[in-house]
Amino acid sequence: MILLHLFLVAITISTSFAIEVNPKIFINNAECLVDLSTQLVKGECRLSLENNDDKPVNSVLYAFEPSIKSHISYISAHQVFESNRLSLNVKPVTLSGHEDKQFYQIDFNASRPLRSKGRAPLVVEYVLINALYPHPEEITQKDRQLMMFYGNAYLYSPYKSLKSSVKFQTGTRRVEDYTNINPVSFLSSGDVVYGPFGSLEPFAYSQISIHYDNNTPFLKATKLTRSIELSHWGNVAVTDVIDLVHHGAKLKGSFSRYDYQRETNSGISSVKSFKMYLPASATSVYYRDVIGNISTSNQRTLLDSVELDIRPRFPLFGGWKTHYTIGYNVPAYEYLYNNGEDYFLKMRLIDHLYDNMIIEDVTVRIILPEGSVDLDLKTTHPIVRLPDGLHYTYLDTIGRPIIKLQMSNVVESHISDFELKYKFPKAFMFHEPLIVIVAIYILFLTVIIWVRLDFSIAKDGHSETRQRISGITSAIIHHFERRASIYSSWDEALNKLKHSKDIGTYNTASKQIQADYKNESTSINELATKLKTESTELSDKLNEVQKAEKNLKELFGQTQSLYTDKLITGKVGRNQFVELDSGLKRKKDECQEKVNQLLKSLN
Amino acid sequence: MSSTVLYKPLLFGMSSEKQESFLKMTILTTAAVLSFATRLFSVLRFESVIHEFDPYFNYRTTQYLAEEGFYKFHNWFDDRAWYPLGRIIGGTIYPGLMITSTVIYNSLHFINLTLEIRNICVFLAPLFSSFTTIITFLLTKELKDTRAGLIAAAMIAIVPGYISRSVAGSYDNEAIAIFCMLLTYYAWIKSVKTGSILWSAFTALAYFYMVSSWGGYVFLINLIPMHVFVLMVTGRFSHRIYVAYSTVYCIGTILSMQISFVGFQPVQTSEHMMALGVFGLCQILGGINYMRTKIVGDDFQTLFQFIIYLIGGTVIAFGTLLTITGKIAPWTGRFYTLLDPSYAKNHIPIIASVSEHQPTSWSSFYFDLHIQVFLFPVGLYFCFSKLTDANIFVILYGVTSIYFAGVMVRLMLVLAPVMCILSGIGASSMLSTYMTQYLEGSSKVPEKKLKKNESSKSMKSEIATAFVTMLTFMLISYVFHCTWVTSEAYSSPSIVLSARSHDGSQVIFDDFREAYYWLRMNTAEDARVMSWWDYGYQITAMANRTILVDNNTWNNTHISRVGQAMSSGEDEAYEIMRELDVDYVLVIFGGVVGYSSDDINKFLWMVRIGGSTEKGRHIKESDYYSPSGEFRVDKEGSKKLKNSLMYKMCYYRFGQVFSEGGKPAGYDRVRNAEIGVKNVTLHVVDEAYTTEHWLVRIYRVKDYDNRGGKMKPNKVSTYYEQ
Repeated sequence: MILLHLFLVAITISTSFAIEVNPKIFINNAECLVDLSTQLVKGECRLSLENNDDKPVNSVLYAFEPSIKSHISYISAHQVFESNRLSLNVKPVTLSGHEDKQFYQIDFNASRPLRSKGRAPLVVEYVLINALYPHPEEITQKDRQLMMFYGNAYLYSPYKSLKSSVKFQTGTRRVEDYTNINPVSFLSSGDVVYGPFGSLEPFAYSQISIHYDNNTPFLKATKLTRSIELSHWGNVAVTDVIDLVHHGAKLKGSFSRYDYQRETNSGISSVKSFKMYLPASATSVYYRDVIGNISTSNQRTLLDSVELDIRPRFPLFGGWKTHYTIGYNVPAYEYLYNNGEDYFLKMRLIDHLYDNMIIEDVTVRIILPEGSVDLDLKTTHPIVRLPDGLHYTYLDTIGRPIIKLQMSNVVESHISDFELKYKFPKAFMFHEPLIVIVAIYILFLTVIIWVRLDFSIAKDGHSETRQRISGITSAIIHHFERRASIYSSWDEALNKLKHSKDIGTYNTASKQIQADYKNESTSINELATKLKTESTELSDKLNEVQKAEKNLKELFGQTQSLYTDKLITGKVGRNQFVELDSGLKRKKDECQEKVNQLLKSLN
Repeated sequence: MSSTVLYKPLLFGMSSEKQESFLKMTILTTAAVLSFATRLFSVLRFESVIHEFDPYFNYRTTQYLAEEGFYKFHNWFDDRAWYPLGRIIGGTIYPGLMITSTVIYNSLHFINLTLEIRNICVFLAPLFSSFTTIITFLLTKELKDTRAGLIAAAMIAIVPGYISRSVAGSYDNEAIAIFCMLLTYYAWIKSVKTGSILWSAFTALAYFYMVSSWGGYVFLINLIPMHVFVLMVTGRFSHRIYVAYSTVYCIGTILSMQISFVGFQPVQTSEHMMALGVFGLCQILGGINYMRTKIVGDDFQTLFQFIIYLIGGTVIAFGTLLTITGKIAPWTGRFYTLLDPSYAKNHIPIIASVSEHQPTSWSSFYFDLHIQVFLFPVGLYFCFSKLTDANIFVILYGVTSIYFAGVMVRLMLVLAPVMCILSGIGASSMLSTYMTQYLEGSSKVPEKKLKKNESSKSMKSEIATAFVTMLTFMLISYVFHCTWVTSEAYSSPSIVLSARSHDGSQVIFDDFREAYYWLRMNTAEDARVMSWWDYGYQITAMANRTILVDNNTWNNTHISRVGQAMSSGEDEAYEIMRELDVDYVLVIFGGVVGYSSDDINKFLWMVRIGGSTEKGRHIKESDYYSPSGEFRVDKEGSKKLKNSLMYKMCYYRFGQVFSEGGKPAGYDRVRNAEIGVKNVTLHVVDEAYTTEHWLVRIYRVKDYDNRGGKMKPNKVSTYYEQ
């Protein structure tokens, strides 16, 4: 997709004005270093350019061979002046007559063009993917993985070069074979150097191949779906769904767990685990796939990142695939800035998956809070933006806007930030809490209405009466309770009288008690008449209680008269008094108990 | 004065009625929440994952239903299972469970609550357990009173017999079926009590839900007629019963026939004949009762006898005729097993091989029900002491289910609710009796000192105190037991195994998922995997590959064929595997880590089932025993066993592995024996994958040799040191 996009850009540029190779420019000296030690081919060419023209040149071209054209993933160029690095703008172009090749136009800084008769250094860096071929294509578990690289012995350039050399770093001393072109040298570090060559014509090409041992992980993410879900409540949730394949030499024959566990060299090209780096503030990391959590992983917090040691469920041999999901949360304050209702989000569009990663297809979904408008996205690399959509999740009503982006053939060098500006009305923050509040409110209201109001068609007279009766009885019981406390205070007063023999205080207390008692009795009587109209059964019971109660009152009266008439006046002897008193007390208790029992039955 | 003791301070100034309903609601809510929470051990310890075997199938079908919709689900022909036969899923399952979760899923998504279908499946069983708690309360309240209801609800919330099948992740039919069953019973009791058509129709609906969710509905459709029949015999038959049963039977039967798996069974199979018979009896009895009001004297007797003979004769004649012609299907094996526990053992090895179809041991009754074992007879006594229509039902339910639970350990699930109900009734009745005495006793304490004359009364109070203390202690120990059982025995997902290492840390064996995921990612989309049927559902759900046999053991011959392949020698097995188009063979081997439910321990069942059909007549169980009559994998083991494909696949290259310190290489930690053949060679299959702890081993079946010759042995023998 990105290639297509680049292509379109290239076409539009080439149609606007024709680009031609300036024959007056030549390369004075070129040193290229191509690193083949991983699954990526990383090239770095240090060129020294010379301008023989009369006028200064603002841009130069860099070319790739037709065989490499489809493998280019990333290119950048910079100049170094007095140990200051100056990045240059690079864009793909096409030249008429050279459609099979891939050209990039490198623009010099406007203040530092390549002056007439002047020289300038230039460093071009590029990354090729899928440029190494397993050879043989299938190996057994105990074999080592051999890779074949097909390249050019010379520097490929639209310009003439005077002196050049190309050095291929294999990173191993086990180089099986390499093409012999004079001059070539094989260094002890395992590097193959072609050159130095003398004067070379433009587009000089001589195919070479290097066959060497490469057991570094050959992992390719065929698909990455990344979701960045932003919440204004302070969280950014990132989810990566990854399809991973080992694209090295395929495993031939059987897999033996015994050999794999016993012999260190068994399955040397297989990938048991790899490391992934997350932002330092990442929390609640999860690693799972469609059938559940993958328990074989470790997390280590480093100073500037969180290191995840990811172990797929099974070791990845050549041709084996896996699919998994990594998710984590990062705090929003590190990435989200706002000024009033204007928000600005700046974070990585893609992130590190594993070292020297290759991702073929990337889809990024940025999910913004509900109510965000006026989205304005800026990215450093060209990107295909799909039409925006809406996403509905918890408590959403109008949906959250999603930005969908696509990229392809991405490597680590593409990791960069995107910048997104949008507007979000502050009041919308309370949208979702309000929904919850209203929902709960409605629920409670419904319950209240349901319980309080009567929806039955037929009138349930029975239960109404029952309720009324229970109201009356509870009121009656309440009064009885009060009366019981009156009794107890009477009892107290009597006791006091027994000891102090002070009839005066007793009389005043007694007066008060009698008055209270009368009050209660009248209330009870009123309620009793009410009760009579409702239920005769209960009214009968109440009558019984009243009778027992009257009995109790009489007993109290007897005690009182015993005290006032006999004890004070001394009409009875000591023993007789005690006998009478305890007799009355027992009767009182019994009576009280009876009242209580009856009251209980009333309830 | 003692009078104040009586008037307890009212709770928040509420009236006693409100107080009661407040307490009721609190207890009920707590029980419901508890029943949900106690089932979450496995989620907290491991993860939110589906457990065991059958739940994986249910999960897969639910996913399909949620994605594809009901009609596609209904017509779903699954070509991933029972290769090459396939399986019509829509017509061979009880869809209630899947529909329930999909309805929940869709309604949540309708209001934008985007819960994953997996989580709904995982938490469905605990959710329905909460509902069960509430319905148990209602049912017991109908049978006895609120107090008994509350105790029963609290008991069922944590009873291990029910938890065993309803922990989070145990996404099986039983998870909702128990709720449906109790709902049906509740509605039935209501309709028996009221005789209203409304309640009866509701019973039929609840019954329909039950039929749609579990094959155990047959228990229901026999229990309800039995109840009606007993009511008739005891002379309690009335218009209420007539209305209730006639409505339930008619509507219920018609509704149940809508489930395509049930189809015409309710009118054709013997299991349903009791319901039909009782329905007929109801009509006759109703008719006779009507006629009795019209006809008097001897005429009635004559007519009565005539009708009885006529109908009896016709029914018997028709029944025999239909059974002979095959219109009424004979009883299926599982039902024979219910009536005669030794039937399966003698006739159908495939039913006998399932551990949950084994008879229940005495200890597991106590393990699963604890104090209910003692409280159950008490409850039964109280039910008998005050016999009502409803009580007769619960007595019947209790007695029949205790028999079935004794026959088949799986049916402990049906027993658990009635145990809770009856124990609730028992405990509540006893507590009511003794609590009153206890309260009376305690309220009179100060006076006791004065009056020493009533010593018998004081003893009564002490007995009451002792009794209440004892029961409290029992109930508390019940809570502890249940929690312990749930946590230790019933909360393992069985798909992830865990063990303690020497230093006490937890080791997780995730080998099953490792292997299934390997199959899913690294084999051809249409690859056919042969394994023993136990792992069928898991392979289709997790590996998404075609399998030969699975846990829906509907085709005995097919399973037998797989059993023959596993128990035959390599060449013979190769022929069977080519015949069945097998690409991969999967075996479970626990010898390295000591996982005892592996394929070698199941091997005798494969032999038995393999030998149970015509094609496998030559496979005899006795050939696989050592001369001394034991099943041994070491040097003493039989030659036939050591040459079988299963033995070779399990022990391939195991001869070099040092599995345990101080033991020779090739020491099997499950069988505790050094294996007999250490240099196993395989001709017809290749090792394709073996998991980290060797739990799952997958072999690739080799293609025919180019020149049609015999397979060459693998060239690994160079590694062997003999």
